[in-house]
Amino acid sequence: MTPPPQLPTLAESLVRRSILDADWREAVTGDLREEFAEHARRRGPVSARRWYWRQAIGLALRFATSRLVPSMRPRRQWAMADMGHDGRSRWAWLTDGRYALRALRHRPGLSGAIVVTLALALAANAAIFTLADALYLRPFRFTGVERLVVVASAPESDPLADRSSVAPADYRDWTRESTTLTDFAAADFWDPNLSEVDQPEQLAGFRVTPGFFRALKTEPLFGRTFLDEEASPGRDRKVVLSHALWTRRFGADPNLVGRTIRLNGEPHEVVGVMRPGPSVPYGAEVWAPLAYTEAEWLERRRGFLLVLARLAGEQSIDSARAEMNAIAARQRQQFPDTHAMRQVSVVSFTRGLSDAGAGPFLAIWQAAAALLLLIACANIANLLMARGTERQHEFAVRLALGARRWRLGMQVLIEGAWLAVCSIALALPLAALGVEGLRRGLPTSVLRWVAGYEFLRLDLTVLLMTALLGACATLFFSLLPALQASGAAVSDTLRQGGRTATVGRSRRWLGTGLAAGQVALTLALIVASALILGAVDGAVNGALGFDKRHVMTARLTLPDRPYAEQERRRQFVARVLDRLHGIPAVESLGSVSFLPYAGASSSRPIYPEGVQLTPAEVRQADFQRATPGYFETMRIPLLDGRSLTDADRDDGRAVVVVSRSFADRYWPGLSPIGRRFRTAEDGPWLEVVGVSGDIMHDWFMNQRRPTFYRPVTQDAGLSLAIVVRTTGNPLDMAGELRRAVTAADPDQPILDLRSMEQVVADKVGGIVYLARALAVMGGIALVLALMGVYSLIAYLAARRTQEFGVRMALGATRWQVIRLNVRQALVITGLGLAMGTAIAIVLGRVMASALFGLVSLEVMPIAAMVVVVGVTALVAGFLPARKAANLDPTVALRTP
Amino acid sequence: MPPTPPYLGEFEYAVLLAVAHLRDDAYAVPMRTFIEERTGRAVARGALYTALERLEGKGCLTSRMGDPTPERGGRARRYFAVSALGLRAVRSTHASFSRLSEGLETLLEPS
Repeated sequence: MTPPPQLPTLAESLVRRSILDADWREAVTGDLREEFAEHARRRGPVSARRWYWRQAIGLALRFATSRLVPSMRPRRQWAMADMGHDGRSRWAWLTDGRYALRALRHRPGLSGAIVVTLALALAANAAIFTLADALYLRPFRFTGVERLVVVASAPESDPLADRSSVAPADYRDWTRESTTLTDFAAADFWDPNLSEVDQPEQLAGFRVTPGFFRALKTEPLFGRTFLDEEASPGRDRKVVLSHALWTRRFGADPNLVGRTIRLNGEPHEVVGVMRPGPSVPYGAEVWAPLAYTEAEWLERRRGFLLVLARLAGEQSIDSARAEMNAIAARQRQQFPDTHAMRQVSVVSFTRGLSDAGAGPFLAIWQAAAALLLLIACANIANLLMARGTERQHEFAVRLALGARRWRLGMQVLIEGAWLAVCSIALALPLAALGVEGLRRGLPTSVLRWVAGYEFLRLDLTVLLMTALLGACATLFFSLLPALQASGAAVSDTLRQGGRTATVGRSRRWLGTGLAAGQVALTLALIVASALILGAVDGAVNGALGFDKRHVMTARLTLPDRPYAEQERRRQFVARVLDRLHGIPAVESLGSVSFLPYAGASSSRPIYPEGVQLTPAEVRQADFQRATPGYFETMRIPLLDGRSLTDADRDDGRAVVVVSRSFADRYWPGLSPIGRRFRTAEDGPWLEVVGVSGDIMHDWFMNQRRPTFYRPVTQDAGLSLAIVVRTTGNPLDMAGELRRAVTAADPDQPILDLRSMEQVVADKVGGIVYLARALAVMGGIALVLALMGVYSLIAYLAARRTQEFGVRMALGATRWQVIRLNVRQALVITGLGLAMGTAIAIVLGRVMASALFGLVSLEVMPIAAMVVVVGVTALVAGFLPARKAANLDPTVALRTP
Repeated sequence: MPPTPPYLGEFEYAVLLAVAHLRDDAYAVPMRTFIEERTGRAVARGALYTALERLEGKGCLTSRMGDPTPERGGRARRYFAVSALGLRAVRSTHASFSRLSEGLETLLEPS
């Protein structure tokens, strides 16, 4: 005999739960099991399970009500529920609840519209709040993080300030002098190449002071962190690995501690492996001791240290800020040469280490979601109010029969509660879907840098917040019509026989105001998304200044010790380029220090010849080291003079090609050819031999940055990118590029290998994502507003059906009747557009300043969106108006 | 004086007759099959349970729990039997229907 098929246990528990009496429960479930076995024998297990479910649901539905209210006899009518038998009032709320549910089911379209509207808005809010919370508000969630601060030599007010900016000598002074801060720690970028392995790889790492892990209060999983004496040159070949790197590259080998790995070709002893968790700072995977020489520690002019500290005792961040400002003021007096312009900032760890750009983005998103919720609320208010008017008669009857007003209020509240429950129930899965979409949608290129990504999931707080928001919104907006209804005089309403010829003035204005508000908010939201879409389009497809098509790129960083000499760097570049040169598909190729859109750049102060600049007047310009082929490959035009050539040698004069904006800044209106500048007050002179076109180096700065290019033959750096223009698909070059690099140095990893189009797409991935999500929200808002206007006009028209009948019977034309209705739509649209334009302009200004010049406020997109929203609103108003006018007057007259 | 037998609905009448027919095997599963076979109409499971509970409540049926069986996952059957009151109710209903149909034999009996 075959074993009995699996009974659907969930279905059985459903049956069990719907039967109160124990004997009955046993008998019924037993019967079901018996028949289930029989069914399975005859029709197979699948059919049997389906059969069981049908039975279970049928039984549950049948018994659910009798289980809830044992005394339920024939259903009482609502009027009877109000008669006030106090002995029975224990169940009165249940009766009200059931009645409310029936009332809602009676108008499925209306109730559905409310539930879906609210659920969408709630879900959008919950999903975006989750994102903001994970990535911006609380990206770091380890104990004590709230007492940690980041101290930087940057003005407090600058949101984009570089936090890795502290000079070593300043760090030492602060450590010594500060009383409000303890556990100072410093970190310096160090991206070593993991070498002498099958696949060399560049790791994200930091050199840190030995107190670094103590400041973070983190303990290693294995081994130890750094000892104080390891922070000296020669003893610093020790590394601590992140848990992620340990599992990814070393197979989570528990015996790794004490062994040696090669970084930048040099042996480093692994002394510890950290626990899984946040990789601080900036997704670090490997840490080594920061071993400055005594001379290096005395460096005061500039520095690149990221400085962390812990608030001492009961100190607040404000007192630490005050103390650090006092120290900075003293330093300004003590070192006027170097510190004249230097400022200090103390910010929370979270603010200091989360992506500065994320805040404004997420704020805009959150604002958009809030707008959506407001629009949804206005919609709900209008729908409920329309419904409230329909029920005035019913309420009047109940009042006449002796129902108390609070009881009617309760009734409305209970209906509101049902709506809230349904909306929230629908919103939660939608929000979960939304969060999952956001998770998947985040461009992988940015993931490593996104702190808090692991927290990107719906948590209880957000769920509760959503539920609370939903409940408040529905209850509040359900009460609005109830307040109006309960104020009405019973006799008036009854005498009118339920026919109010026109809607009361105040209600009409309230409805108009709400609909106009919806139009206004929608316009604002749509303008915002249009502005961002425009900006993104400019960043991706606009005038970049270079041609991103058919270009393959490889980025790499040469380790500093093996490549300490310029000559070796030059040889490396020459070897790679030479090898690639012979490939037929290669049209041209070159190298540059920093690819545009790749996220990195370097700058130098500029001292033009013949001008005396005070320290405050010195400005920076982007510094690139390029080969002659770079301009050709990227199709950056040469505007004046000559390009760099291979003849520019180390022994000749130092030459430079500058960008158009560089020339315009320093020699406006003059020919820059032959002019000279230097990058340090005592540095060698560089002579301008050519002017190139400007390029957009980073979408975030929507401006052409003055740039100068030095020939690699005269000045070779460690950071470089190889660019290859091909006749075919650039990605086909990936293998060749990899081989060329390996041939030049088998230990040299490639940081990334992407086509130029990918580089651009990856960089703007985040904002493209944002723009699309905003556009989706704008679309939802437009639909909601359309529904709002449509339902209001339809409702107002329906209330006046009789009047229209009379008018038409007396000779009014169809068109005249349409006009009566459209007038209302015109008022709504006009008001909405006026308010919306004002809001949109304010919002645009805020966005323009929050997004650092990415978004510019222009008239055309606003005007275009005004037209789109206006036409949509008018159409939404016209349709019900036409429908009203199409009625046969004889029918219209008889309509109650 | 014994209490007056209650009025039976059509379905209650059918259920009581089924219980009487099935005697010792009168529990819900065969009852449903029996009624469906004899009347040719589908019987909703919930309706049957409700009717059984109501009839027991009116005193027309008595019930007892049988022994648990493995095929029912260790759950017992609930067996029903027609009580004295139930018997009188069935008789009275039957008698009412008989009186109502008196003289209509030619119409009711298919020839």
